[in-house]
Amino acid sequence: MIIEGIIEAFKLLFSLNREIYTIIFLSLAISILATLTASLIGTFFGILISISNFKLKKFTKKIVFTFMGIPPVVLGLIVLLVITGPFDGFNLLFTKTAMYIAQTLLVLPIIIGNIIISSEKTQKKILETATTLGAKKIDKIKLLIIEIKPFIFMSVILGFSRAISEVGAVMLVGGNIKNDTRVMTTYIALNNSMGEYSVSIAMGIILLLLAFLIHTLVSRFRGDFYD
Amino acid sequence: MIDIKNLSVDLKTIEISFDDFTFEKSKITIVSGKNGSGKTTLLKAIAGLLEYKGDLHVNGEVTYNSQEPVIFNRTVYENISYPLKIRKLDLLEYEEKIWDYCKILEMDHLINKNALKLSSGEKMKVSIIRSIIFNPDIVLLDEPTTHLDLDSINELGTLIRRLKKDMTFIIVSHNKTFIDSLMDVEYKIGGNHVLS
Repeated sequence: MIIEGIIEAFKLLFSLNREIYTIIFLSLAISILATLTASLIGTFFGILISISNFKLKKFTKKIVFTFMGIPPVVLGLIVLLVITGPFDGFNLLFTKTAMYIAQTLLVLPIIIGNIIISSEKTQKKILETATTLGAKKIDKIKLLIIEIKPFIFMSVILGFSRAISEVGAVMLVGGNIKNDTRVMTTYIALNNSMGEYSVSIAMGIILLLLAFLIHTLVSRFRGDFYD
Repeated sequence: MIDIKNLSVDLKTIEISFDDFTFEKSKITIVSGKNGSGKTTLLKAIAGLLEYKGDLHVNGEVTYNSQEPVIFNRTVYENISYPLKIRKLDLLEYEEKIWDYCKILEMDHLINKNALKLSSGEKMKVSIIRSIIFNPDIVLLDEPTTHLDLDSINELGTLIRRLKKDMTFIIVSHNKTFIDSLMDVEYKIGGNHVLS
């Protein structure tokens, strides 16, 4: 069955089937956009939380770390309740926007949490040294971002992996609508439920190949000295 | 240059108090004392990195070089020029000085290398040059000879002697030869510990 799946994967890739390409494109587009949005917001808040001293810091960190492991389906449910409740007027249910929101919220704590962990590990010495060299607060933040850059990239990769591979949230808020909100993972889930395992395996292989390709590209652009 | 009076630092588990003292300008003061007596604590308090009780008057810009060098992930040149860059100073004007200090400490051949990839001794030299390149008034060196070989220790001594006219050095070191070759004044600490 696995060999059938591999053959099917190549057939699908070179089939010029519009539906397949739409699914692949939508998966990539939503995951990349959600990861980018979460990276921008997450880096800012991750660094802010790690360098600031405020009353509820420990509690905030606990909340972030808890949300790092939230099951996608639970988050999907929360987004579903919000977009059909207080934000019902925006008609977001079963739209790509809802999928984008859900994935962004899913990736955000992963980025914030990883940046807090890496930043707190290295920041004390770096900030101390920068202080004694006469750096102002803005210089210190700039320096810290540059120094933890490899960790930021690592967090982004982790976030993207979470986004592209999750199924629960996008299924709930996107609805897996053909030629509209169907992505690779929901396509796999659908084919599994219909017993079309070879198609599922094929899409799974494509998903893995894409993830591998993107990770290779990102690590090429990391530009750090740790390699 | 620096006056301390009734100074004490609470390190949560222990409170260390220091005898009153005046660190004089353009003098090399060696801070001596046993392990754990509070030498690093004193330097960190002077550098403004620790909270303290009592009076501590520092007259001038102060820089602290820790016993384990903290190196930024960039080249030796970029590490050394960091304090100049954040002060928006013209790097070209300092070019000669950077090369001069690097030559004295035999670091000139490594200037374009990534500083993180250097040996511990080389990192210490980068860190020391970075601390003095922007002409601070007071330089606090915490165990600067750690990781340095004999020749490098002598070169560092030469550099410090050359700069002492314009800078006040306060040094913590256990290297007797190094201390003897540089010391103008000694400040002994120890015995003033109270468990918190």
